[in-house]
Amino acid sequence: MSFLAPLFLAGLAALAVPIFVHLINRERKEITEFPSLMFVQRIPYRSVRRQKIRNWLLFAMRCLALTMLIAAFARPFIERRMALAGGGIDTSREVVVLLDRSYSMGYGDHWTRAIEAARSTIAGLGGNDRLTLVAFAETPTALNQRTADQGSLRASLDAVKLSSRGTRYAPALKLAARILDESGLARREVVLISDFQKVGWDGHEEVLLPPGASLTPVDLSESSASNVAVTTVELHRAMVAGRERVTVTARLTNTGEKAANNVSVALSLGEREVEKRSITIAPNNAGTMTFASVALPEGLTRGHVTAAADALPADNRFNFLLAPEQTLSVLIIEPSDARSAQSLYLSRALAIGENPVVRAVVRRSSALSFGDLAGRSLVVLNDAPFPGGDMGGRIRTFVEQGGGLLVILGQNSTPSSFTGVGADLLPGPVGTIVDRGTDRAASLASLEYAHPIFELFSGPRSGDFSAARFYRYRPLQLSGAAGVIARYDDGAPAVIEKPLGAGKVIVMTSTADLFWNTLAVQPVFLPFLHQTVRYASSYTDLRPWHTAGQVLEVRKAAERLAGAGSGPAPAPSSRETGSYVVESPSGEALRPTAADDGHLIELDEQGFYELRRVGAATGASRAVAVNLDVAESNLSRIDPQELVAAVTPKTGNVPSAGTGEPPTPEEQEGRQTLWWYLLAGAALLLGAETILSNRLSRAAR
Amino acid sequence: MNALDARGTTPGARFVDPHVLARISSLELLARVVVEGFINGLHRSPNLGASMDFAEHRAYMPGDDIRRIDWRLYARSDRYFIKEFEADTNANFSVLVDVSKSMSFSSRKDGMSKLDYARYIAACLIYFSSKQRDRVGFASFSEDIITYVPPSAKHLTVILHELDRMKVGVRGTLGPPLRKLSESFRRRSIICLISDLYEDPPSIVEAINQLRGKGNDIMVMHVLDPAEIEFPYDDPSNFQDLESDERIPVVPGQFSEKYRALIQQHIASLGKLFGESGVDYAVFDTSNPLDDALFRFLAKRQQLSRVR
Repeated sequence: MSFLAPLFLAGLAALAVPIFVHLINRERKEITEFPSLMFVQRIPYRSVRRQKIRNWLLFAMRCLALTMLIAAFARPFIERRMALAGGGIDTSREVVVLLDRSYSMGYGDHWTRAIEAARSTIAGLGGNDRLTLVAFAETPTALNQRTADQGSLRASLDAVKLSSRGTRYAPALKLAARILDESGLARREVVLISDFQKVGWDGHEEVLLPPGASLTPVDLSESSASNVAVTTVELHRAMVAGRERVTVTARLTNTGEKAANNVSVALSLGEREVEKRSITIAPNNAGTMTFASVALPEGLTRGHVTAAADALPADNRFNFLLAPEQTLSVLIIEPSDARSAQSLYLSRALAIGENPVVRAVVRRSSALSFGDLAGRSLVVLNDAPFPGGDMGGRIRTFVEQGGGLLVILGQNSTPSSFTGVGADLLPGPVGTIVDRGTDRAASLASLEYAHPIFELFSGPRSGDFSAARFYRYRPLQLSGAAGVIARYDDGAPAVIEKPLGAGKVIVMTSTADLFWNTLAVQPVFLPFLHQTVRYASSYTDLRPWHTAGQVLEVRKAAERLAGAGSGPAPAPSSRETGSYVVESPSGEALRPTAADDGHLIELDEQGFYELRRVGAATGASRAVAVNLDVAESNLSRIDPQELVAAVTPKTGNVPSAGTGEPPTPEEQEGRQTLWWYLLAGAALLLGAETILSNRLSRAAR
Repeated sequence: MNALDARGTTPGARFVDPHVLARISSLELLARVVVEGFINGLHRSPNLGASMDFAEHRAYMPGDDIRRIDWRLYARSDRYFIKEFEADTNANFSVLVDVSKSMSFSSRKDGMSKLDYARYIAACLIYFSSKQRDRVGFASFSEDIITYVPPSAKHLTVILHELDRMKVGVRGTLGPPLRKLSESFRRRSIICLISDLYEDPPSIVEAINQLRGKGNDIMVMHVLDPAEIEFPYDDPSNFQDLESDERIPVVPGQFSEKYRALIQQHIASLGKLFGESGVDYAVFDTSNPLDDALFRFLAKRQQLSRVR
């Protein structure tokens, strides 16, 4: 419905006047809070509100009459999409072509047939028809506005390429439903061109096409499709004769009904094929292939495992990056008069584990030199005073540039231990020792399981911190931007985090040996310490590969890759600034989207993305390996009619066909007579209102 | 000698008024006062339910606790055997507390809110259960789980700390949080739910039945303020829902009688449905002492004490 004189609708603002008067004169009452009005609502009550409802009725009648008067002056008329006249039938169609471009469509000649099917749909368009071409994989993209121009539609179709993503039907069908819903044409159709993979539809999506719309499936699938895919690789590292060697194991699947015999599988590192072997995989089964170990080359090495080409070659290749073993370098500073074995538990616990390997160096504070700080990711003050002079300044700068500082308070950590540049490093002033050894020892009672340090322990039976007994600790009076991530049972902070510049300061208020507590001999100590070191030093894993569709933080990835080539994790001073350009596997140069915490880019293609700093030399590029989502390799299909039944309304209220010709003047006039009815309705309402209000007045007297 | 009261406890076992207990700031002290006072009044062993009756020997398996090896039998037979007892490994006991905003209600300005009452009941039951060497757990929820402490023999202080910190949440519902919690109970447990149960009885029972898998025994403690049962209001006023902030003008009078009938009908309906489902159900008035809760808990615990 539309209006010939819509400006009259501004008069509706007059309705606000009585409402406003009512609101400001409303009776005010005392408010009683009650837990739930569940029972109060069920009781029919006599209250002031009920009397108000009678007045409200009158008020509603007046408002409605006024609204109808205003609407009559605005001259409403009905837009009819489909009306019978002259005996002609409106056959104009709104067509949405959904073209599946997931990588499984690369199977055999599926893609060619899909393009042909889309072409024939375009060729079948009538003069009044409109068509929207939507290409979809996991997300749909409308390639054009609805149009009847076959030339532009064919041009859009020619530009579509296969993607590296999986299939999801629901988003595409929702977009089609929206396009059809907005259409005013008589007939509405969706043409779905796909291989109808089962993985793309779980049957629980709430998608429904508008009433009267039809879905025509164009099924390109084959009943006996077979496909071999390399789904993942595992990289086992070992040190042999002082040199790191890696063993690559590939997992392959066969989703076909026939056995895949003697499939040739090759391992390539860099540009060189290292080994080639063959494997036989039973129908609907998986197999593994382990290649001979190879010495790890220097720096980053690109590798891939490739199975012999079959009908779907895209998933026959699995890319990965090989990097030397990752290490974190930690400097532990002890006081000059340290207890024997004061850092024993720390250094022993840090020496265990890999990914990353932690190399800890212990120094007495009296023997510290500037060189000790070089290349470190984390500095641990193990009950040692903060170094004064230039050394203290360097440690502070180290943290502000993104390094980590773990402060462990103990006997020697007196308030005077943190002065000068270290005065505001801690989240608050250090207090005097609290001795809980005389009564019942303290325990850790409250942990922030959402924090990265304790996230590991959040599940049931994932570590028991309450078994550790704390006989002494140093309280901290917190101030400023500090977060307490663990507390003792009396509420005093046990572990605190404070951001400082780009880095972090983590404070533990009791010792890391058995001097003040028994945490060091608890099973949770080792994972807790490793998590703390990783978090404080802002360490992130170097991922050997990503999956298409993931979002990459370019700056962080570049920093990790920069460190990975040379061994230890990047020290704060090596952290990078500036903007990046990313080259996709197909050679397209991409500018990352700026975000709060770096530059983001969506990994859309299979292969290796090159990360390059703007203005850097050509040789400074770093690569990220991207693989396909292997779920898409499973070519099991659903019955297209099942999909049609799920998204088509059960009781189709098919609109009747109408004319495509412009309406006659009589017809136009007929569509505009609504104002008469509105005026008559308003007059009737006002009459009824007069009678009702007179009766109410008499009753009130 | 004092006569037994209706519940079978001696009058000396009834505790001081909850409002007096509210002045004790330490939850652990409060729990100790209530629980040990109760036990003294009852003249029963505090180890009730933790029978140490010898059951049988079985061969030692790697991973068994070496403290349980029968060394005398080893001396005789030169082989390792483990002594097993009836119920020497006690049950899991978890308390689930509804912290929706309606639980903050107190009809007296200086009175105890339903949440405080629930806090004290929970503290007493947890303390008591921990003394029985049960593994104790705790969860609080409103429309979602707010705090979860898994059952463990070492979690008494953690739970008391969490109970102390417990604050009211927002609008509450039982279904979704209980569904999530039901996935956490992996062993047979005694589960005590403390709530004001402001939902339709069928949906409440449906929500609670989710917890009944794996043979869990459920106790539902329905906590209500006296004003919610008696509706002692005289003056017309706007009643405001604590959770939804909706207001309805009410003129008491005959309204109060209808309200009382409805709430009694609600309680009776819950009692019937829970009875059919085998769930132990009881209503607690926040003006009453806490020993009723403990008595019911003990009765349930006693039924399960012979479980090996």
